Amino acid sequence: MSSDFEAYELDFGTLTAEITNKVGRIPKLAGEEKTQLVLNVDKQLEEVRELLEQMDLEVREIPIQSRGMYNSRLKSYKQEMEKLEKDFKRSRIAYSDEVRNELLGDDASSSESQRAHLLDNTERLERSSRRLEAGYQIAVETEQVGQEILANLNSDREKIQRSRDRLRETDANLGKSSRILTGMLRRIIQNRVLVFILGAIILLTIVLAIYFNLRGH
Amino acid sequence: MDNSGKEKEAMQLMAEADKKVKSSGSFLGGMFGGNHKVEDACEMYARAANMFKMAKNWSAAGSAFCQAARLHMQMQNKLDSATSFVDAGNAYKKADPQEAINCLNAAIDIYTDMGRFTIAAKHHMTIAEIYESELVDIEKTIAHYEQAADYYKGEESNSSANKCLLKVGSYSAQLEQYPKAIEIYEQVATSTMDNPLLKYNAKEYFWKAALCHFIVDELNAKLAIEKYEGMFPAFSDSRECKLLKKLLEAHEEQNSEAFTEAVKEFDSISRLDQWQTTMLLRIKKTIQGDAGDLK
Repeated sequence: MSSDFEAYELDFGTLTAEITNKVGRIPKLAGEEKTQLVLNVDKQLEEVRELLEQMDLEVREIPIQSRGMYNSRLKSYKQEMEKLEKDFKRSRIAYSDEVRNELLGDDASSSESQRAHLLDNTERLERSSRRLEAGYQIAVETEQVGQEILANLNSDREKIQRSRDRLRETDANLGKSSRILTGMLRRIIQNRVLVFILGAIILLTIVLAIYFNLRGH
Repeated sequence: MDNSGKEKEAMQLMAEADKKVKSSGSFLGGMFGGNHKVEDACEMYARAANMFKMAKNWSAAGSAFCQAARLHMQMQNKLDSATSFVDAGNAYKKADPQEAINCLNAAIDIYTDMGRFTIAAKHHMTIAEIYESELVDIEKTIAHYEQAADYYKGEESNSSANKCLLKVGSYSAQLEQYPKAIEIYEQVATSTMDNPLLKYNAKEYFWKAALCHFIVDELNAKLAIEKYEGMFPAFSDSRECKLLKKLLEAHEEQNSEAFTEAVKEFDSISRLDQWQTTMLLRIKKTIQGDAGDLK
């Protein structure tokens, strides 16, 4: 009887060793391999449970005096199995480095991308500083153009002011000349009236002279 | 546009006009409306000259205008005479610059006689431009620009006066008459400082004046810059002022490398024009004996 139990113990030992090994490997794998391994471990756990049941039966068949030792062994085996099951469950959901690396890319490739980032940034800085320079140049040129325009405006302003003054002068002169012309016109009319009057007087004198002459005869 | 036909017509007119003038010279003509004939002759000369212009025969046009002008003088028609001289000058400008200058001078005499200084000043400027471009006689250019500036000042057109003065300044600096140039630039700068429209130009004039000071003597330049900063605070902010300070330093240390650096930096933002590069080159030559390559 106990030899059976010992045979069972040996089996149990090997199986648990295998299970521990596989459970250790599970987090590192992924996908197909992982599922296979998981199934494997599941099966082995089943076997371990059956073994434990059989050990239980065996222990029951042993006479009561020597049962104590076997019972305690059985209990420790059961505890070990539960621990293995827990480990197994945990390992199935564990995050491992491998997964992380797969997500974020290799170690070697991450340093590459950092270098590329830095170069990109430098280039961007250079580009922006060049654009700033060009912008500054344009601003300075604009200022110069503005200066010239202001100077032109100033000279135009003076020209306009001068023309306005001259226009006013011309206006005044025209007024004066029109007054002179009206004066001339008046004097001409006066002269003509005088001439007519004088002419009339002379005519009258001549007529009177002839009249008196004829009278005198 | 048969230009050759126009020319022949013009020749005919000239011949007719000549005859008229001669005929009016004789005693009888003088008695009976000689003036009338001379006026007609003037008009015919003018028409002939216009036709010559159409035919692009500038010198013939110029001479026809001159004839007309002389006839106008005879008739004491000063204004018409002056305008004819000016037309003659314009026509000669394209063919014979010297003759043009003669005609314009005659016109200027008439105008100043009549007291029309503005127009006289304008013609002085035209003559100066001819000397500048075609005959390249810088002394005479300066003389005429100066006259023009004086007349403009007399007529209170300060902007035109400043324009002429600036040209005088730049040419005198070119001819190494630095005190005169300095005085002119300072004068112009102080007068534009107060005008709100022109004050952005003032800093440029200060910069040029300081350059001239620099060529003469470095100490002068330092004093001048301080003076200008006192007069016109905005000057100290300008890039030109910063460049000047750097140049002064470089000059003190007799370091032509730093000099070239500073100039290149300034040039990369806003190009230096011909005059400024010449001045800077002269300054650089005084730093050391070797000729630098200013770009």
